[in-house]
Amino acid sequence: MTKVLTVNHSVEQGIREFLKFLLDTGKIKGVFTLKKLNKKGDVAYSLITRSDELTDAVPFFPLMPVNAGKLISRFTMNGPPSEPVAVVLKPCELRAFIELVKLEQGSLENMVFISATCGGVFPLNMVHEGTIEKNLSPYWTAIKKEEIPENIRPVCKACTEFIPYNADLVLNLVGNKNLDSQCDIVIETKKGEEITTDTDIKKKYSQKEYKKENLDTFKERREAEKKKIIEDIDTKLTGMDGLIEIFGKCIGCHGCSKACPICYCKLCEFESSDSEYGPSNYEAELKRRGAVRVPPNTLYYHLGRLSHIAISCVGCGSCEDACPVDIPVSIIFKKIGESIQNMFEYTPGKSIEEKIPLTTFKEKELTEIEE
Amino acid sequence: MNNPRKTPDASSTDHGVLIQVKNTQKETVNDFLKTAMEKGVFDAVLISMRVPAGDSFAYVLLTNKELLKDAFPLPPVMPVQGAKAISSITRRGKGNKKIAAILRPCEIRATVELAKLGQVNLENIILISMDCFGVMPTPIFIKDPEKSFKKFEDAIREDDDTVMRPVCQICDKSSMVAGDLHMGTRGVQKDSFFIVPHTKKGKDILDKLGLQANKNIDTWRAKINKNAKEKQKKRKQVHTDLQSSIEKLDKFLDIFSHCINCHNCMRVCPICSCRVCYFDSDKMKHPSDDYLRIAESKGSIRFLPDTSIFHMGRMVHMSLSCVSCGACEDACPMSIPVAQLFSMTADETQGLFGYIAGESLDEPLPLTTYRKEELSEVDDVHD
Repeated sequence: MTKVLTVNHSVEQGIREFLKFLLDTGKIKGVFTLKKLNKKGDVAYSLITRSDELTDAVPFFPLMPVNAGKLISRFTMNGPPSEPVAVVLKPCELRAFIELVKLEQGSLENMVFISATCGGVFPLNMVHEGTIEKNLSPYWTAIKKEEIPENIRPVCKACTEFIPYNADLVLNLVGNKNLDSQCDIVIETKKGEEITTDTDIKKKYSQKEYKKENLDTFKERREAEKKKIIEDIDTKLTGMDGLIEIFGKCIGCHGCSKACPICYCKLCEFESSDSEYGPSNYEAELKRRGAVRVPPNTLYYHLGRLSHIAISCVGCGSCEDACPVDIPVSIIFKKIGESIQNMFEYTPGKSIEEKIPLTTFKEKELTEIEE
Repeated sequence: MNNPRKTPDASSTDHGVLIQVKNTQKETVNDFLKTAMEKGVFDAVLISMRVPAGDSFAYVLLTNKELLKDAFPLPPVMPVQGAKAISSITRRGKGNKKIAAILRPCEIRATVELAKLGQVNLENIILISMDCFGVMPTPIFIKDPEKSFKKFEDAIREDDDTVMRPVCQICDKSSMVAGDLHMGTRGVQKDSFFIVPHTKKGKDILDKLGLQANKNIDTWRAKINKNAKEKQKKRKQVHTDLQSSIEKLDKFLDIFSHCINCHNCMRVCPICSCRVCYFDSDKMKHPSDDYLRIAESKGSIRFLPDTSIFHMGRMVHMSLSCVSCGACEDACPMSIPVAQLFSMTADETQGLFGYIAGESLDEPLPLTTYRKEELSEVDDVHD
């Protein structure tokens, strides 16, 4: 039976106190979490090693400035920490990190993952528009009622994977009416158990058996929203012409690739000399068509990236947040990503043991294509 | 300052060709290009066109001259900096076609910088600029392309730059002639404009077309000088205000507090031509325990820890060649005023060397030359 630790504070205060306790007792060396950077209230991921710095931590702030999976990959890829480090991150961020570990871009060693059922995050443009603060209270009201908050990113509205996989400790935010008074930390794994089986913790916090909550209503609402959003993009994704209409305004900044946790290549194929046109390529295109867009391969880049990462795409939405020209890139990648993942019955980031489909061969798979 | 700054509008000639406008200026420019193609003066044209959805513009290299009727020599936005387009075409060497590129002055200046950096080959390229009234920020334009387009046309007609990019509003080089030919439209009668040759290549083109640069261009020059002076004043004021708003390190860091490390600013910058940026290289990646050690020295660190060092590093690397085009700010998904900051720094660093980025192909990049007398103000500190 799953166990739960209860801190008698609001969820936000409770998790801060719990992390502070872990840091002060030396159970962990550092904490990765969202934290307020300055008086303006700007939020960014921080690595905290001194517990008083946790005062400004906002672990469940509904924003994803950068996909944390990418950051933890950077943190662990040149050697994991020699002592435990806790990370508070969203389910899709953890899923992205698990994919990165499978791609040998990070390590799970000495990392303790704390996640929560996720209500979604606001688009980053609300940061510079200054509209987040006034949306926070309605956000939490909606979350308590298992409703989809207004103004969150479309890709979050369509996310049905809001319950974390592979987290050592999990907090229930969605549908939790006691967010403001009680912080229940569910112990999910052996690692989670190890870090909490300590007489100090037992003395400080109450521990009881835990019965998993049913979030079917939320799941249904998300499924319905997903159907709507995918149907809408389907009307636009009509062959080559549709793709050109959607991606025509792309400025070639490749911000989507840079922000994507799965796009980890040191040098993207589409930024390499292999993809550069020489004069003869241009002249051949001109001979064939009489005109060519410069720089070339705008659409090819997106299709290439799609074929490279779709199988591991966790639908986190970072790509769209980084796009300066509002291309619905995360919805397109989610749609294509999920259809490819369904083909292989693969959910990226769900299991560390399950191999990425393209690295395995099964004699019986993809027969529909053969036919 | 050892080298007095040159006037931004320095041009080798004081005469131009007077071109009569038929219908619209845009059509007349496109007709001029078409005629030149028909006469074989150039084989291809690089020019802006609307994308199929109509919600933005893109550079197109064309040999089919019929397409020119849909070309926009001065589109309302700059989704890609023209120098990047020239670099894409010629980075691997010159081709067999003579290409005329219709660009804005800042795009030509960036092209000139890239030529000095060995990133473009101008041998078969004819650079043609036009008086520029600025461009609208792309993220704003695409919200409502039709309405924005009308706003842009109204703004040009009324010479009102308030809808343009913030750096366009303080651009004092919007008529700077740095290419082979320049089309001067400011201060000229509505039904005509000047084509001013700037290089021998430019003069040869006019000769081949049977056009004589025999009209006095004083009216145009007077107008652009007046415009440049006004903008210089405004530029100074804006930079002074900006400087005072970031004088302390905390405030400077606050400007970048929203940065999400997407490096879009670097990737759209025409000058940032490195294949792999130093700040994306393995040099910036450390073992976890090193990050923890850095965090321990302060109690906590922002992660990634290299956000502001990236911007400062980029500034150090490219500010001497920065043409204040504003592409970086357009591409920033977090609306950081990065182009304004860079234009401020660039004016300082370029001023130190009496250098104006992109003004002349003949003037070497300051960091590639050594002059015994330069930077004495830095020496003094150690005296």
